[in-house]
Amino acid sequence: MIYQGKGPSHESKQSLWLLTAAPMIWAGHFILCYVTTAIWIEKVAGRDASLLPMRLTIGGYTLLAFIGIGVVFGIGNRRRNLDTEKKSTDNDTPDCRHRFLGFATILLCCLSVVATLFTSLAAVFVQTTH
Amino acid sequence: MPDEPSSQFTHFFGKLEPKQKYGQTLALAPIALAVLSGCHGPQSALNPAGKGSAPIVDLTVWLTIGAAIVWFSVIGFAVYAIRLNPSAHNRRRARRLIIGGGAVVPTIVLTVMLSYGLSMMPEQLAPAPDGSQRIHVSGEQWWWRFEYELPSGEFVETANEIWLPLDEPVEFLLNSPDVIHSFWIPSLGRKLDMLPGTETRLALHPLKEGYYRGVCAEFCGESHSLMAFDVKVVPRRDFDAWLERQRSDAVIRSLEQEGARTFTRNGCGACHTVRGTFADGSIGPDLTHFGSRESIGAGLFKNRKDNLEGWLRKTDTLKPGVNMPHYAMLSNAEIGAIADYLLSLK
Amino acid sequence: MLNDANPSQELKEAQERRLLKAWQTPKGWRYWSEVNNTSVGLWYTIAAFGFFLFAGVLALLIRIQLAIPNNDFLSADTYNQVFTMHGSVMMFLFAVPIFEAISILLMPQMLGARDLPFPRLSSFGFWCYLIGGLFVCGSIFFDAAPKGGWFMYPPLTTDYQTGIGADIWLLGLSFIEIASLAAAVELIVGVLKCRPPGMRINLIPLYAWYILVVGAMILFAFPPLIAGDILLELERLLDWPFFDPERGGNPLLWQHLFWIFGHPEVYIVFLPSIALVAMIVPTFARTRMVGYSWIVLAAVGTGFLSFGLWVHHMFTTGLPGISLSFFSAASEAVAIPTGIQFFCFLATLIAGKVTRSVPILFVSAGLATFIIGGLTGVMVALVPFDFQAHDTYFIVGHLHYVLVGGTIFPIIAGIYYFYPMVTGKLLSDKLGYASFWFLIVGFNVTFFPMHISGLIGMPRRVFTYPAGAGFDILNLVSSIGAGILAIGFAIFLWDFLRPRKRQPYAPRNPWNAGTPEWLAHSPSKPWGVRSVPEVKARYPIWDQPNFVEDVDEGRFYLPDAKEERRETLISSIVDSVPQYCHRLSSPSFLPLTAALFTGGTFVFATFHYWWSAAICAGFSFATIVAWLWTGTATIPEKPDKRIKGEQRAPLYLSGSKSVGWWAMFITMLGDFTAFASLIFAYFFYWTASEEFISQAMSREMITLFIASCCCGLLAWLSTLLARKLNKWETSVLYFVAIAFSAICSLSGATLIVIALRNSGFDPTADVYPAIVWVISLWMGLHLALGGVMQLYCLARKAAKRMTGEYDIDIQNVSLYWHFAALTTAITILTLCGFPSLA
Repeated sequence: MIYQGKGPSHESKQSLWLLTAAPMIWAGHFILCYVTTAIWIEKVAGRDASLLPMRLTIGGYTLLAFIGIGVVFGIGNRRRNLDTEKKSTDNDTPDCRHRFLGFATILLCCLSVVATLFTSLAAVFVQTTH
Repeated sequence: MPDEPSSQFTHFFGKLEPKQKYGQTLALAPIALAVLSGCHGPQSALNPAGKGSAPIVDLTVWLTIGAAIVWFSVIGFAVYAIRLNPSAHNRRRARRLIIGGGAVVPTIVLTVMLSYGLSMMPEQLAPAPDGSQRIHVSGEQWWWRFEYELPSGEFVETANEIWLPLDEPVEFLLNSPDVIHSFWIPSLGRKLDMLPGTETRLALHPLKEGYYRGVCAEFCGESHSLMAFDVKVVPRRDFDAWLERQRSDAVIRSLEQEGARTFTRNGCGACHTVRGTFADGSIGPDLTHFGSRESIGAGLFKNRKDNLEGWLRKTDTLKPGVNMPHYAMLSNAEIGAIADYLLSLK
Repeated sequence: MLNDANPSQELKEAQERRLLKAWQTPKGWRYWSEVNNTSVGLWYTIAAFGFFLFAGVLALLIRIQLAIPNNDFLSADTYNQVFTMHGSVMMFLFAVPIFEAISILLMPQMLGARDLPFPRLSSFGFWCYLIGGLFVCGSIFFDAAPKGGWFMYPPLTTDYQTGIGADIWLLGLSFIEIASLAAAVELIVGVLKCRPPGMRINLIPLYAWYILVVGAMILFAFPPLIAGDILLELERLLDWPFFDPERGGNPLLWQHLFWIFGHPEVYIVFLPSIALVAMIVPTFARTRMVGYSWIVLAAVGTGFLSFGLWVHHMFTTGLPGISLSFFSAASEAVAIPTGIQFFCFLATLIAGKVTRSVPILFVSAGLATFIIGGLTGVMVALVPFDFQAHDTYFIVGHLHYVLVGGTIFPIIAGIYYFYPMVTGKLLSDKLGYASFWFLIVGFNVTFFPMHISGLIGMPRRVFTYPAGAGFDILNLVSSIGAGILAIGFAIFLWDFLRPRKRQPYAPRNPWNAGTPEWLAHSPSKPWGVRSVPEVKARYPIWDQPNFVEDVDEGRFYLPDAKEERRETLISSIVDSVPQYCHRLSSPSFLPLTAALFTGGTFVFATFHYWWSAAICAGFSFATIVAWLWTGTATIPEKPDKRIKGEQRAPLYLSGSKSVGWWAMFITMLGDFTAFASLIFAYFFYWTASEEFISQAMSREMITLFIASCCCGLLAWLSTLLARKLNKWETSVLYFVAIAFSAICSLSGATLIVIALRNSGFDPTADVYPAIVWVISLWMGLHLALGGVMQLYCLARKAAKRMTGEYDIDIQNVSLYWHFAALTTAITILTLCGFPSLA
């Protein structure tokens, strides 16, 4: 029989969705930034206005996104640090698989943070609705 | 003679003097190849003559240098690993290469690049200040309609050639009555699409006197390749004089009366306007000052009598899909008379 | 137990005989009824390669035309057809299908499975692709090919190109996109559910990770294009003004929908090729991949980020700078995971001891080339640079570096690498080196000068250019390069096709690779693997003692086919614990027939032969129902069977453990994405125009819409009830519930049609009524389809093909209805609710 692990690393407590959590937060942040600025410019402010309210909003979104990614990072980190035998992710044990999913989640969190930061850089440099 | 296709036409660039190259402050070493590979002409984005285009050339140079460094270092690593020292190395050290070379360094480099790029945005997108010369441009399959807006609110229409005042901002208001085109004068600055139903606005600021060429950059149908226009950047005084001339009606010399009549008799006026005559069509280009233009057929041929006669005889072969019918059924004398007439409209 | 662990020679031979009988390829004309992945995958690969050569010849025509200024080798009109077809065929008929082809061919072996879960679906997808592809390609011989460029921007392709070409493009390629979606479903379920026992998610071959990501990307990238195709075709056919600015339409909407597909598409094409690299590199570095988790990060990360890039194809459309900047940022960010993958490969090469060979040579060429494409990619991702480079030959150079370096070179490497596995014979090293040098030199000579010609002002898609602008020499050089490139491909093609009757078979696993696909015998056996192995390592052939022998001796799972049926194991997603033994479908002409009729529907519709199209559609529907009825959710003759020793597994499971449920779930995600794209269109029009909501809905219309919504929701609830009742074996109540639900859904669909007909909304008058029509018809169609499914469930139960225990049909239909109910609710909330808010 294939050993499915026990405690936190049992298969029933796992899914691949956690991997997608951090990039989903990036995607949500991205779409929100794009949609709110588009509606702001097309429906409210017009093409000749200051962008300050939107830049502050994007700052707010970014803060929220960072908190979200931080939470996911925490979960991933706990999984990664699951403490049995040596800390490998390469072997055929449920613990290794558990750590692997945790580690991949962490890496995706890092990438998502950078990508979110890049998105918010737009608000740093662009000041008008032109 | 007329039956020989295109050999009778001197293509516009064939007669063109190579333009003086713009002395860039940065070393142009990486794109020296571009310069060597041919006299890059009046249509080159690497030959900047505008406030918008010069910083993009700097950006291009930096990016090219950076890209070359990155490429050579990565390939250097690979050659080392595969050819020079193919024995096995420490796995842990190799993993560190992923973190450093694959993640950390690129992130830093990209952050710097992105910031550089974004910091250029405000200047690139800034609208022209109030009081700038406004030019309404309409991209049509496959030629350009230009309307200069005068301070009085009056419009002066011309086609396929614009003059711009040196070192002054100009605002282009772009639109299209048919398909999507894209307005691009590479030497002066960025391109911008011309969308049916929406007006887009582009500010350019020429910095160097000279002759440049604009083209349509968005695929717009059969003769997309044959949709160019001439741009002349001149001192304000010359610009004003030119605009005043363009504003005036056509003056028809007695010598060309016969040509004018042939023009009218064959219905040319249904599509073309020659202000001051009965010709007032608005489907095709305004011909009021046709003789003053550099080229015919939207940047296709140098504006000379032999080219013009050929153009009238086989318009549809020279510009596939064009709306204008050919006039091959006219006699040589009639064609000649029309050509003389049009060339006299200075 | 003892028997299985060390089967006697006699038993072993009997087992092999039975396996062979179950898996043997039909002979004679019945060969074309085969559905097994090794046959379908091979046909698929060859067809994709055929289309590649066709598009390559078109490319040579382009280069001949552009070799000298003012050339008249091709007329403007022909040239426009040629370049449009070159782009469209390369993208839609080569790049995406070749990945599906290679994956269908190889992935079961990599996963130690006997086949993918839905062989007939693969076969149907292949025939659709072939029919659609021939139809689209054939058009150029009748001077009727599309000529609007591969991204077909309206209004050029609506009002200004009235020929049949654009319809061929829209209908022919939509048809192929559906085939791609079918392949995506197949491959995603394959990776998730068809792994061998013990192959935990941290041990699967990297190829499978990439395919999982790419499958998911197809699911979210293709539907927006299909939605766009529907809108564009409706405008061409019925004059509904979606892209006509005079009646409120907006040509930019097409660009959004096209590029939401188009940019992920680039990665859909690129990632599977990199996946091949990820299989090849460890083999020739003689070491396990360094940074497995990092590659997973890169694949998943790229998959997500690639959806945030689409506007970088629209930087010059005059959108606000802030919007452009977001997309510029994402376009830069996506370079990070791409870079990480390269450094993983590099690190593996450094950690290992590299042996030289043709595959690794092409891999290096691919990487060196792709890096240039990637670097020019981060250049054009910067808005100011793109302001100049966009729509010029710089882009042409850039995209060919990306696609040839990132896709074609790795695929050639993959072909050299996997050729012995598929055919049993090796390709020639000598010819390989020769073609390599021609290809790499030819490629760079062709495409490098394009960067310069673009920057000195040459727009793309020009059929000619003036002399003396600096373009002459550069273009001549490019054209000479194209000739060298063509010689390289010719050498490769000769090596690929030359007769090999006398060449001896290659040894088994000739490269000493470590992944399970190299269990294949040389020449290969039709059953795939002798027994489905228990995998405990990423490179089991290297790391599991006695692995090959154990597999060959039949010491693992399913060593026998007692009932002489095709079977494979279905396992859990994370740890790959065997859940049940899945009976695979046998060879059949049904998929081919269904594809012929479906193809007929599209082809006749293109030429407006409505009656023929309708008849074909009817036959296609009937064939598909016959296929489902006879070939799916068949109740097994016994509840379970031995899969290894005394270990038994059921032969039938329903719900989220079954592959059918996952296929439905994945299909519906794609379907819902298409719906979301239509909703996006609605709100796009609202943001882009002040007067979008141009007329008010009548009270009667709103009432009918809400009534229809209630019908839909009732149908959903009673389907769920029927699922419950089916479990309890209370037959009569089940029939009442399912019949009621079918009546509800069909009347819901009818109400929508009545509401639209009586509404006074004229879809040709303005974009608002047109989009209301499209969205509500979409909903109506889903209700009607749901009704048909409910009737199908009713008939299945009546025919005793579904019981309380064996209930896949009603389970999957309920899943469909979750999505249908959501679609209904969103439709009505948007159409009836939003106008009062806005």
